[in-house]
Amino acid sequence: MSERVETQAAEEVPPPEWGRRQPLGAVSPWIFVVVVGLLLLGRLVFAPYLTAPALQAWATIFVAICVQALPFLAFGVLLSAAITAFVPASFWTRALPKRPFLAVPVAGAAGAVLPGCECASVPVASGLMSRGVTPAAALSFLLASPAINPIVIVATVVAFPGEPMMAVARFAASLLVAVVAGWVWLRFGRSDWLRIPSRPVGHGPKWRSFVEAMRHDFLHAGGFLVVGGATAATMNVVVPRAWLESVAGVPVVSVLVLALLAVILSICSEADAFVAASLTAFSPTAKLAFLVVGPMVDLKLIALQTGTFGRRFAARFIPLTFVLAVAVSLAAGEVLL
Amino acid sequence: MNRLTQSMILVLLGGAVLRITTVSTTYLNYVKPGFRPFLIAAGVVVLALGVIGLVQEWRGASHDHDDHDDHDHPHTPGVAWLLTLPVFAIFLIAPPALGAFSAKSEEPQARPVAAAETYDALAAGQVNEMTIAEFTGRAWGEGAGSLAGQQVRLTGFAVPSAKKKDRWYLARIQIACCAADGVALKVAVLDAEMPPENTWVEVVGTWKRPPSGRLEPGTIAPELTAVSLTPIPQPVEPYE
Repeated sequence: MSERVETQAAEEVPPPEWGRRQPLGAVSPWIFVVVVGLLLLGRLVFAPYLTAPALQAWATIFVAICVQALPFLAFGVLLSAAITAFVPASFWTRALPKRPFLAVPVAGAAGAVLPGCECASVPVASGLMSRGVTPAAALSFLLASPAINPIVIVATVVAFPGEPMMAVARFAASLLVAVVAGWVWLRFGRSDWLRIPSRPVGHGPKWRSFVEAMRHDFLHAGGFLVVGGATAATMNVVVPRAWLESVAGVPVVSVLVLALLAVILSICSEADAFVAASLTAFSPTAKLAFLVVGPMVDLKLIALQTGTFGRRFAARFIPLTFVLAVAVSLAAGEVLL
Repeated sequence: MNRLTQSMILVLLGGAVLRITTVSTTYLNYVKPGFRPFLIAAGVVVLALGVIGLVQEWRGASHDHDDHDDHDHPHTPGVAWLLTLPVFAIFLIAPPALGAFSAKSEEPQARPVAAAETYDALAAGQVNEMTIAEFTGRAWGEGAGSLAGQQVRLTGFAVPSAKKKDRWYLARIQIACCAADGVALKVAVLDAEMPPENTWVEVVGTWKRPPSGRLEPGTIAPELTAVSLTPIPQPVEPYE
């Protein structure tokens, strides 16, 4: 909820709410009964009327984004909870270089081993931070892992037959953006901008704090994922792709337009290469920008990061990432493509 | 939001995911078939989290504040309520596979994924069944000659052209991962009356070679001269 409550919870052990927990049968279970009642009633009464094609297309894309992200989110939350509950904090101080300046590129490169998409990386990064990993290093991991893992790189090679440099450029540009963004945060970031989710380790058995962490992260991140999914679905239905073609020939503008399209569409990083390949009218550099920006900045990530790390963090980190990603894509496109 | 509500939301969400993956094939309207095992696993995990929470709550309630409840749990914000939205969408709107509405809104023709791959020669003297992606890939690629004079059978739904009145397309959405990345592939059907919009049909016909040198391949949809047209129910897997 608010930052105040979380810091309180972290400082005061036991937290104040232990004594006066809401008894069973309080208000919200009844709201819940109403929700289920609406579901049953609505299925009989409203469902025949909810058939407008635009609404159905929206709902299909919305459900598709949520359903498709769910396994990745569950996996990310599971991994994050396991990091919190089973991996001792001392492990990270040994695994990563002591100096944060060096820890950032190491963490960024480590992103290559987590096979997931961007939904998984946010909870994992927050789990890393709460176990004492330097925020800048965790952020570098957050940006790198959805873009440079083996599954994504293979998908890129498959989607661009005969253009292996596209996958190379994607790997290099994404890693560079992740590391530079980490360094910038290390140098200029202020600790009060970032809200590190409190992860009190319970006194009980480890599996219990594991289940607790998982449940908390899932409910929290899942809610924000739904916000992002709904926004992306709306954009997908409302913004016609036809107007894209008209700017395809203009050098820098076309790069910016595809970068913005990547933000709006919020396609899973494992599938975005296929969409980029279908945008034939655009230059390779513009497609590269689409591939570099997509896994780092998109509507569902904005919602997830805002929910996990706070609004003040998101308002600074997301524009920083976007500008860096576009600039590096332009440069990499010049040199490599 | 208290723990009981949280647990129930988790049960509801996990149940909805298991419902669309195990007892029906609805999930194919949203994602690739390969997602099924992962979706089932995720559904089971979410359902289990909810059930564990319910059991803990029930035991905690019967023991009434003894030390079974001594784990701390940070407050969960109301945003978790939003997790019921996809559940509502699944049950109330029951979103169908993307169809004519989405295929119409993308008038510039998209290039199918992997159009550059090389195709085998078609068997002569029989009807060759192929996807619209393969048909388009052949028609636009190097091996366009392989289609000449061959009968092919394509499956898709009917979409009227947004520009020309008497023209219609056989369309199919191609997805790489989920419906959000869907790309509409279209083949113009000649010499056949258009069935009602969004009807699924099987069309048998031959490729019509475009007048040479006028347009670069890839700018307009390939054309198919129809021999026969059969309405069919929507395939279980609606996307290519």
